[in-house]
Amino acid sequence: MTDRRGWFLDPEAGPIFQQIGDNVRRFLARGDLRPGEKLPSARDLAGELRVNPNTVVHAYSELEGQGVLETRRGLGSFVREDAPVEGMRQDLIRRAASRFAEEAVRLGLSKGEAIAAVKEVLDARTAR
Amino acid sequence: MSGLRTLLWLEYRRSRVWSAALMGSLVFWFWGMNQVRVVNVGEELGIRLVLLTMAWLVTAVVLAIMCGRFRGETRQGQYQVLLLSGPSGYVHILARFLYALGTALPFAVACGGLLAWAGRQAGLPLDTGSTLQAILVLPLWGAGVLVAPVLAWVLLLMTFVSAYRISGSGWIPGTVFVFGTGALFGPLLDWMTNISFSLPGWPLFGRLVEVLKNMNLDQEMPSPERAFLLPQEPLWIMLALTIGMLLLAGRIWEEVEV
Amino acid sequence: MLARLDNVTKRYRTVEGLRDVSLEFPEGEVAGLLGLNGSGKSTLLKLLAGLLVPSEGRVTVFDGTPRRNRAHLVYLGEADSLYGWMDARDAERFMAGLFADFRRDRFRELLHGLEVPPRKAKAMSKGERGRLRLAMTLARDARLYLLDEPLAGIDLLSRERILSSLVREWHKDSTILLSTHEVAEAEGLFDRVLFLREGRVALDARAEALRSEGRSVVATFREVLG
Repeated sequence: MTDRRGWFLDPEAGPIFQQIGDNVRRFLARGDLRPGEKLPSARDLAGELRVNPNTVVHAYSELEGQGVLETRRGLGSFVREDAPVEGMRQDLIRRAASRFAEEAVRLGLSKGEAIAAVKEVLDARTAR
Repeated sequence: MSGLRTLLWLEYRRSRVWSAALMGSLVFWFWGMNQVRVVNVGEELGIRLVLLTMAWLVTAVVLAIMCGRFRGETRQGQYQVLLLSGPSGYVHILARFLYALGTALPFAVACGGLLAWAGRQAGLPLDTGSTLQAILVLPLWGAGVLVAPVLAWVLLLMTFVSAYRISGSGWIPGTVFVFGTGALFGPLLDWMTNISFSLPGWPLFGRLVEVLKNMNLDQEMPSPERAFLLPQEPLWIMLALTIGMLLLAGRIWEEVEV
Repeated sequence: MLARLDNVTKRYRTVEGLRDVSLEFPEGEVAGLLGLNGSGKSTLLKLLAGLLVPSEGRVTVFDGTPRRNRAHLVYLGEADSLYGWMDARDAERFMAGLFADFRRDRFRELLHGLEVPPRKAKAMSKGERGRLRLAMTLARDARLYLLDEPLAGIDLLSRERILSSLVREWHKDSTILLSTHEVAEAEGLFDRVLFLREGRVALDARAEALRSEGRSVVATFREVLG
């Protein structure tokens, strides 16, 4: 996770501290990060992402407030065992679905056509 | 004083090629002096002494240039780093001065050696005392009276020019400085000549003159104690001026904008 | 306040490099100094470093003049200040002898992290020299870091390494003021951004605040200075 790849930070997309939080949630939702796992120190992550350490500290404390992270004195920041991973997954899925639905509606697809499109893509993936 | 030591090391790394070249040039001057073979011994000695004087002048110019290489450093930002370094301007100036002097002194002593050699070649019966005086006393006196002030003057000139560079006037104050001090040089020389020997002079080559006298040569020889007298006054005056110029250069260094 | 400028104007013959600028710099801040060429960024940094003296107004650093307090500040200028014959070991000796707050162990770590080759400066590429100079700069335990275009003309990988090192070496009581043209790359680093235009401060804002309004620093740059 200290690898810079996989992180999406876009200066046009709002405050960086928030985007860091979003990225962490995405990693959890996808299983790239698991409950109980240790996160890199604020300084290490900041160095990796080339952002201000204060920004990472801000992001970590937001995540802590949301019950995703906990700080263990002298050891660092860890994902809570009881982090609401399932909720995050659902959230991500719902957001992806609404983005798709939004596009489908704009293209004038019926519900049946939209679902068929998804099915086609998924079938093609398993076939590979 | 790790600052002074580091600055001396820096000068050495920056300028060691210059120092090596100057010391190496001694071989060239010696070779040149050796080439002079004239029937008349007095003439031969005379020409060799002229060459030696030229060696001295050339070296003084080279040393002055070596000391005065501020411009390259300014362009390349090294001056900025040095200005903001720990040691004060006085230490920076002192380091440059000491390094240049440290190159000049061995050169001067070597020239003293060449002088003694030329004297021997001319048949002068140099005793140990006179030889030592030629190799040490005369060169050191010469370095104090001629080299030290010139080096200090160049350092003062370069800091002066640097201080004005930012306002764009650059070489104008520098030219004023050169002509100003040049104008003062004449009166200074007159003054030094006038007050010379108010204090007792230092007799050189006493034994040599004595021996020559005893050999009953044709020429009129002065008494040994008065033959070659080195005046003290110029040495003290020039050393005082040197210290004054170095202090002023150090002070200006602190005020330079770059 | 670590440093401040009070109504500072700096004139070069007839041109005004800075006009009536007043700014305050607290501890622990990473500030970006952004602007077009000739906008006064270098002048501002040099005034804070004490390399220039204001024509009008006053520059205060650590409650005194910058030159007198130079032991606590580091200036990294645009010009390549390395001597051609210097290698990393010479650089270490140079810095350790002339700057009391230079940390040799930190310097060696930085040399390693920035992958500075053990060659003489004249045999190094521009990027390698930039990295060496940055190692020399960040190995000093100063309270104010003034960096003038540390990324200029340097290859991409070196720039990334330099930015990462800056982040890793920064500590809470020190302040970094950094000017750059690589706004997009350095954007994430800044707590605060100062936009200079023709010698005046066109905008002084917190970076995250700008982004909260949906504008990146890059976009703001175009808006304010375009």
